Amino acid sequence: MLGWARAKVHALADLLLVSRGPYARAFDSLILGLIIFSVASIGVESIPDLPQWTMQLLRVAEIIVVGVFSFEYVLRIIAAPSKLGFIFSYQGIIDLLAIAPFYLTGFDARWLRALRLLRLLRVLKLQTHILETVVEERTRELREKNAALEKAQAQLNAELEVARSLQLAILPSAFPARPGCEAAARMIPATTMGGDFYDYIELPDGQIGLVIADVSGHGVPAAFFMAVARTNLRELAVHHLDPGECLAHTNDALCAQNPLDLFVTVFYCVLNPTTGMLRYANGGHNPPYVRRAAASVETLNGAGGLVLGAMPGVRYPTHTVQLLRGDRLVLFTDGVTEAFNPTEELYGAQRLVDEVHVHGSGTPAALVERICQSVTTFAGREPQSDDITLSVLTWGAP
Amino acid sequence: MNLRIEALPEATYVVPEGRLDFDAAPGFQEALERLLGAAGKAPAALIIDGAALEYVSSAGLRAVLLVTRAAQRANVPFALCALQPAVREVFDLSGFSRIIAVAPDRATALAQAQQGRP
Repeated sequence: MLGWARAKVHALADLLLVSRGPYARAFDSLILGLIIFSVASIGVESIPDLPQWTMQLLRVAEIIVVGVFSFEYVLRIIAAPSKLGFIFSYQGIIDLLAIAPFYLTGFDARWLRALRLLRLLRVLKLQTHILETVVEERTRELREKNAALEKAQAQLNAELEVARSLQLAILPSAFPARPGCEAAARMIPATTMGGDFYDYIELPDGQIGLVIADVSGHGVPAAFFMAVARTNLRELAVHHLDPGECLAHTNDALCAQNPLDLFVTVFYCVLNPTTGMLRYANGGHNPPYVRRAAASVETLNGAGGLVLGAMPGVRYPTHTVQLLRGDRLVLFTDGVTEAFNPTEELYGAQRLVDEVHVHGSGTPAALVERICQSVTTFAGREPQSDDITLSVLTWGAP
Repeated sequence: MNLRIEALPEATYVVPEGRLDFDAAPGFQEALERLLGAAGKAPAALIIDGAALEYVSSAGLRAVLLVTRAAQRANVPFALCALQPAVREVFDLSGFSRIIAVAPDRATALAQAQQGRP
């Protein structure tokens, strides 16, 4: 019997206080109305010489108000997960002080009349009540906004992921088959969308163009500019077999369609796979290295021109270098040499040259892997700030 | 990155301190374009003093290029000076030192900027 009654009371507390249903809202409004009424009635009571019937009415009203508040107070204690926690909480104390004077003074214990002033604390009860409602409302709004934001973010991420796979998909996966030529390359973007790229272009005369490039900045704008630069270069390379001439035309084309004022550094070379003759031109890119079969490392530092896309009408001189059997060409972007470690130190060109010198005799894939590992080990926990791209070619391998 | 600005009668000197990279570039560009765009108060010349500039990424180069163009539009003589060797190398490698005046010190930079030659 007692258990049944307890269950009922708990259910009632749930219905009126914990749930967010219509009964709870109605009970809330009732309490709010009674608070306002009782605060107002304290004011009315203080008017001198009120008629007898008004005093009586107020007294009856006071009994009802305190009755309902007491009922609410007991219900709140029952509904609270920690009873003592509620009793000694700010709201619990205010709720108690709102009804205590009535029980302590009865109707007219003159010596305790002063305590009735405590009823003014019902203003505080009103305040906590309003505060609670406002906080609840704001919390709900925030929750809804957060959910909407999270959904939008997830959608954006999914789209970026698609764009990233599209971008990686346009990088060539294999070097054109030529006897004695072997190549490997890798691009590790810093953010989801990179600005670096490499390319192999089959030219009409059987020669092969090799490109490595780095668009200023990264993210979506750099990725778009990269796609435009790559397409232009591919198209123009077929018509302009001289590397310098090809870069000059690509530069003019890029300057004509560059609303964001981005630019791209490009190293472009054309390999004659039969003779090992390499012609190259440089548009503001880090000069690549040639590792000779005897392990010495040379820099291809023939004079270059301005980065592409910055200013039209730039000329790019073409230079020539003869590859010998077993030589390796190492193209890279500054993401390699300008990788920082946690103490703000740069990876630097010397570390790269050392890796090429010591570990360059294996396959191109092994050297690419080796350098990538060396850079990531060096960087440690420092986040990658720029795209890292490497492209290695071996000519005349037995 | 921190920007120190010294406004003198003959020129406004801007001293960027730290790394001009992808994160710092937009703030750098905006600050200098604001200097150039100040109505009726445009500097007599704008010189970037690179003595405390430790590193410039490609995004940083782009910001410098855009500031150069803004200076040309505003008709304000513009030059860079006192670049650290590593930063100077970036300007040489990218070909930027051929289209933007890069001088060893402030006095030379001011003279070059006023003559309008790189």
